[in-house]
Amino acid sequence: MPASFRRRLTAIGSLLLVISCGGDSPSDGGTTPPPPSEQLRIITGNSQVGPAGTALPVPLLVQALSADGTTPLVGRNVTWTVVTGGGTLAEVRTQTDGAGAASARWTLGAAVGAQTIRVTIQGIATPVTFTATAQNANQTQPVLVATVPVPATYGHHDTFVRDGLAFVCAWNAGVLIYDVGNGMRGGSPANPVLVSSLVTNANGVPGGAQVHNAWWFHNPVTGEKRYLFIGQEGPATVGASSSGDLHVVDVSNLADPREVATLRIGGAGIHNFWMDEQRQVLYAAYYNGGVLALDVSGTLQGDLQGRILARRTPGGEGNTYVWGVMLAGNTLYASDMLSGFWALDPVTLATKGGGGNVADRYTSDLWIRDGWGYTGTWGNRGGRRGTVIKVWQLAGTGVPTLIDSVNVGNITTVSDVAVTPDGKALVATAEGGTGPGLYIYDRVDPRRPQLKGSVTVSQGLHTGEVAVINGRTYVFAAQNPGLPALRIYDITGVVP
Amino acid sequence: MAQAILAGTRADPIPGGDDRAEVRVTQPVAMALVDVGARIRLTATANLEALTLADGELTPGAWGEGFVDRRHPHTVVHELTLGVRDLLGSRDGAIEVGVVAGKGFVPFGTDDPMVRPFLRYPVNHHLAQLLERAVVLGQLQVGMATLEGALFNGDEPERPGQWPLLRRADGAWRFGDSRAARLTMRPMATLELQGSLAAVKSPEHRQGAGGTARKESLSARWAEEQPTRARYALVEWAHTSELDGAFVFRSFLAEVAVRERRVAVGYRFERTTRPEEERLDDPFRSKRPHLENSILGTTRWTLHTAQLRFGPIGRGRVDALPFIEATVGRISRGGPGIFDIETLYGTDRVRTISVGVVVNAGMRGHRMGRYGVLGAAHHHP
Repeated sequence: MPASFRRRLTAIGSLLLVISCGGDSPSDGGTTPPPPSEQLRIITGNSQVGPAGTALPVPLLVQALSADGTTPLVGRNVTWTVVTGGGTLAEVRTQTDGAGAASARWTLGAAVGAQTIRVTIQGIATPVTFTATAQNANQTQPVLVATVPVPATYGHHDTFVRDGLAFVCAWNAGVLIYDVGNGMRGGSPANPVLVSSLVTNANGVPGGAQVHNAWWFHNPVTGEKRYLFIGQEGPATVGASSSGDLHVVDVSNLADPREVATLRIGGAGIHNFWMDEQRQVLYAAYYNGGVLALDVSGTLQGDLQGRILARRTPGGEGNTYVWGVMLAGNTLYASDMLSGFWALDPVTLATKGGGGNVADRYTSDLWIRDGWGYTGTWGNRGGRRGTVIKVWQLAGTGVPTLIDSVNVGNITTVSDVAVTPDGKALVATAEGGTGPGLYIYDRVDPRRPQLKGSVTVSQGLHTGEVAVINGRTYVFAAQNPGLPALRIYDITGVVP
Repeated sequence: MAQAILAGTRADPIPGGDDRAEVRVTQPVAMALVDVGARIRLTATANLEALTLADGELTPGAWGEGFVDRRHPHTVVHELTLGVRDLLGSRDGAIEVGVVAGKGFVPFGTDDPMVRPFLRYPVNHHLAQLLERAVVLGQLQVGMATLEGALFNGDEPERPGQWPLLRRADGAWRFGDSRAARLTMRPMATLELQGSLAAVKSPEHRQGAGGTARKESLSARWAEEQPTRARYALVEWAHTSELDGAFVFRSFLAEVAVRERRVAVGYRFERTTRPEEERLDDPFRSKRPHLENSILGTTRWTLHTAQLRFGPIGRGRVDALPFIEATVGRISRGGPGIFDIETLYGTDRVRTISVGVVVNAGMRGHRMGRYGVLGAAHHHP
């Protein structure tokens, strides 16, 4: 076993054992007959998904404990057995260490489907079994690797994923923070582990906390990862009025998040965010309130009204209902449901170009990549449904020109669009009609994305957040009520 | 007791701008009132619209329970209540105390449209009545005044086979999260005045994610019935505020019916605002359950309905009343928002005509939802 890997395993194991054992000292175990109820348990590595024939990213880690669960069983012999799937094990520890732990790395066999490993430990009658799902190595469709039900308080709206943590915005159930590969709780995309949750204050907005979206601010100036920005989506009449505040949560201690600041714009409600982290500026779409730039440098506390840098309604009063914003280069782009796709100055929010360019449909989400823009469409405008993704070419000045449209299919709304970090794939979620779900396009020719894979989800998907974890690309999708859930898809093989 | 109506209806426009005609059996109900002694009454009503109107009844302007421009079918177990009247007997003198529990009508608003003279449900059904809930109500009747208070579950049905939700998925009680009170005054035998209030928690989201609907209703009702003539009139005002006033819906309705021997005529005026929500592929359905607290706008429906009815024909336990009923009116914007009337309907004018026959076996004149101390029948023509 390479020393670096051994050190990593030991560190993971020790961390987890400190958490689970409260720092109790190990026994000298192994020399006397064990009591019958000694425990063997899985710490990490269960329920992973990966291509057949490849190594799984998370090591298999077990722990043996005394009957009362407080004392690690040290020096016990461990037997690892490949039961199904024909995989192989490497870097195997055949004796429990000082924390009662033993580990191995699992390379899946060639068989597609469920594969299992059994682990037995000397003196403990009941083994534990690891299960993994092997995908076709030439997988061309998104693969669902986990479904996490969300309380039915209108369900799950959006997800923000960073550093292996997923911030699940679950309406009146608040924001739910999951370890999906961070390591702090041993979670993975296939096995999300809840770290903590917080229901933000309703602030008197009718309908409650209504946690809709989030952004975890990594401040490159201070090095802090202290603040989580949360959007509250209050009652609204689409196209005319909205409500809901910005909430700032201190997540210095991720296990104990605390709300510290808020911002209210009278007569308007917040929607999606983007950030210029280097400049410490938060941009927010505010529906009928337009686009707002907020100074989020330093310590955030109380009412943030005094930090507003600029606010504009790009389509003008009565013709503005901004869904989303995104900064790319020296241009802030805004997608306005009513007045189309805009290029704005990121400092003054003055119009650089665009607007009045999507008269046929309501505009939804946006994404910018390498001089190309993609905007979704929403609902029903004049009998034309939100079935398409608009493709825009962006001039050096940032000004967009409509090039083409991608017809997604029998849906009514393109609810979210994003490009994968490698720029290869355009990802869209869709609602309504007979084909709601997840759509993946390649960007070989960015002006004409080609459909490469899709999954139909009958309830529809409200959003899809793209994240790369342990070298694989996932979409964290929000499944709509009646069965609200976080659905995590591995899309790595769809656009290689 | 039982009733059913066979009716052919033509509506113009329907969503999409076309017109549509169809024949349905509507309001098929069977009812039993079982009295145990002088004070206890079991009320049971079965509604078979799940069989005859699974896709709803063509009714421009109607909305609720995920249906739009089609009136939703009611639940199979429409009422199942046990009521006790004059609970304290002679001990409380002229005061009469009643207690009722079961599934049925909440003491709020006016009579269900099913027991009123017209075929077509008014637009305001979900503003002016609360029904098919698990309800416990107490009543106090002193002279001409009856005060009722009730606790019930806020969720409205999602489908005909569904029972009221008593506990949510998170274990919290759904029963009792909503309340209503109604004061009924009867200064004359033929005149009834009513005022009521209700706070209904998340009526459109079964697990309780929605806001509270605060409802108010005022009405005056006149009804007299004799073998050769009858008179009936109702004037009502209803108001619903959702999410602390984020959405407000209002209704004014006046209806009158006059019968001389075997011919009855009726007229109804209604002006009601309703929410407009995103519709599904089926334009008669809106998204349920909701995802958020937003609407596309509001519309105001101003409708005039006239009816001519004959009969009853038949002298036995079952009789029939042929009728013809027409509605004309206009749809206008009730407020800002992106909902566009012309886009959906192609016009802002509404015309609906129905021809049919009410088949009745002992139900005529019965007022649903009058339990306990209000259990004695009060008639309309």
